[in-house]
Amino acid sequence: MSCGLRDVIEFEALGRPGVLVASDAFAQAAAEQVQLLGQPKLAYALAPHPIQDRTDDELRAMARSLAGEVLAAIRT
Amino acid sequence: MPELVALVKHDCPVCDQVLPALDAADIRVLSQSGAQDTEAQAARLGLRAVPELDLDLELSARLDPDAVPTLVLLDGADERGRVEGLDRQGMLDLAARAGVELNLDGLPEIRPGCASLTRDPEVAARLAARRARAEGRIRSRELRVGELEDPFEALHDRGLTDGLPVVPPTPERVVAMLDHTSRDPQDVVGVVPPYGGEATVEKVAVNAVMAGCEGPELPVVLAAVEAVCEETFAMHGLLATTHPAGPLIVVSGHPGFHSGVNVLGQGDRASMTTGRALQLVVRNIGGGRPGVEDRATHGQAGKLGMCFAERLDDTAPWPGLAQDRGVPPGEPGVTVMALEAPRVIVDQLARDPEGLCASLAMALESVATPRLRLAFDAMLLVGPEHGRVFREAGWSRAQVQQRLHDLTHSPAGSLVRGADGSPEGIEPKWVSDPDMPVAKFASADRILVAYAGGDAGLFSMVFGGWAAGEIGSAPVTRSIQPWA
Amino acid sequence: MGVTTRGPASAATWRPAAPLRILDPTAERDAAPERPLAPRGEPRAIALVDIRKPRGDVFLDELERLLRERGHEVLREGKPTFTKPAPQDLRRDIAQRCDAVIEALAD
Repeated sequence: MSCGLRDVIEFEALGRPGVLVASDAFAQAAAEQVQLLGQPKLAYALAPHPIQDRTDDELRAMARSLAGEVLAAIRT
Repeated sequence: MPELVALVKHDCPVCDQVLPALDAADIRVLSQSGAQDTEAQAARLGLRAVPELDLDLELSARLDPDAVPTLVLLDGADERGRVEGLDRQGMLDLAARAGVELNLDGLPEIRPGCASLTRDPEVAARLAARRARAEGRIRSRELRVGELEDPFEALHDRGLTDGLPVVPPTPERVVAMLDHTSRDPQDVVGVVPPYGGEATVEKVAVNAVMAGCEGPELPVVLAAVEAVCEETFAMHGLLATTHPAGPLIVVSGHPGFHSGVNVLGQGDRASMTTGRALQLVVRNIGGGRPGVEDRATHGQAGKLGMCFAERLDDTAPWPGLAQDRGVPPGEPGVTVMALEAPRVIVDQLARDPEGLCASLAMALESVATPRLRLAFDAMLLVGPEHGRVFREAGWSRAQVQQRLHDLTHSPAGSLVRGADGSPEGIEPKWVSDPDMPVAKFASADRILVAYAGGDAGLFSMVFGGWAAGEIGSAPVTRSIQPWA
Repeated sequence: MGVTTRGPASAATWRPAAPLRILDPTAERDAAPERPLAPRGEPRAIALVDIRKPRGDVFLDELERLLRERGHEVLREGKPTFTKPAPQDLRRDIAQRCDAVIEALAD
């Protein structure tokens, strides 16, 4: 997850809005990491844990429910 | 009731010698070392009580001993006496005053202690910074930087650099920088355009650290900031213009600045960092940034920072520029002027001042374009091989300026719009007599003349001005002394 | 965890033993300078960066479908491995070809 955060930080530095989608098991860690990395406003969206044993349909439903939030994070 | 307190550290053989006696007498002992080291020492010496830790070196910082062990008699916060190092009689006497029986039998009469941890340069710097903050000498807020952020990138990402890495302005470095001025850190040096940020001595010191100044340059930077903030310098306009000019600092008579070979180039830390510090002040305190407030079409390398020192040794034809412009003799001074990057003037043949002035005048007249008259000023930096010509002929600076002014006249007809195919120039309606000589410069003193450079090379340098006089920027000279 | 790849040329950026405290060089007329995020607009081309953990592709396939429905151009990209941050060359390359990035799915 923190590798993903670093990627998003770098994309932001390259001038591209970015957002990371991560399992909500990382909610606490992500909140701490963005502070430690000096980017408290960095965008990330949390997907309900667990991920691995979801069916394809469940994953697609997750994508649909997060799409709005994810888009909002990279748009005005 | 006065209390005896001892300060020790774990890696001090003299503390080792004294601790058992202190322990036996139940004297309160504070250790400058960490918990593990202190416990290990106590175990090694078989002490009954492990010394307390002097957390944050609070007591050590307050008492500020040179050495440990130090035995102090404290009455509340007041010190009634102390013994630093092992001094048997001294310690016994001090203990007696506290009504404590101390047994130092078998110990040497005198043995100097080890350096107190507060004397460790890193520790001392940290304590000094803490003290400065507590006393209000340092008031800047700290930047919120992520713990995992690279400090160099952090400063760059927050828009606080000129594109090159800066030295992170830690409280320790800023406090050390402030040692180079006797002024109060909260004294206001100037109000910096365009947003009117107040440049206090402290804020200038922060930017001087970032620029890489070593410390002795600080008074020069302060004087330059004072000068640049003068209304007549028109820093706001200079920043915002599409013209490439930026502030040049000429240092007259301050030690530690190189004034010989490659004086305008790279390599001299004092010159490079002083020029840079001024521009960082303009950016960070004034808020003027390239592309936003700073609209220069091309700019130039000197906008990173431009500063040189005059060469005022026995080759100098004239006194320093600042001293010529009102700074009392013997006092160092700065002159700041709004100028472009320099261009070389070659004359390898002139042996007399007239001929040399004729060559120099050609370059001066072409500042910006020969067609534009009166609106500009310029700086002429005379190199030593050229300077010798003036010195040997006994020409004063004023004489040189006057001659250059006279020689930078051209007939109006050659300057009119359309002449020689160039559309630039004087409007035809102003040219009644094509032979009438038109001055380039409004007066002789619009040509500032400085002296520096290496011994070899028949070169001088011309720096073209921006918009001169009332409508633009006037050079400003200030003494450095008040900032020392 | 990876190491920061930006910074003066070296594989591992120097990091102080304790975080450096740095004084603000500005006149403090505004809120303290912060690292700004990239400006937001209306991204036309969106890069979906797969960190390559299993099942992420299903999630991203659906996200791609939704984004295309809304008229966005979608670029599918992938990191070589989820165990490190993406190589800087790859990030630059992606950044040049898109207006915004969605990276998924970290678990």
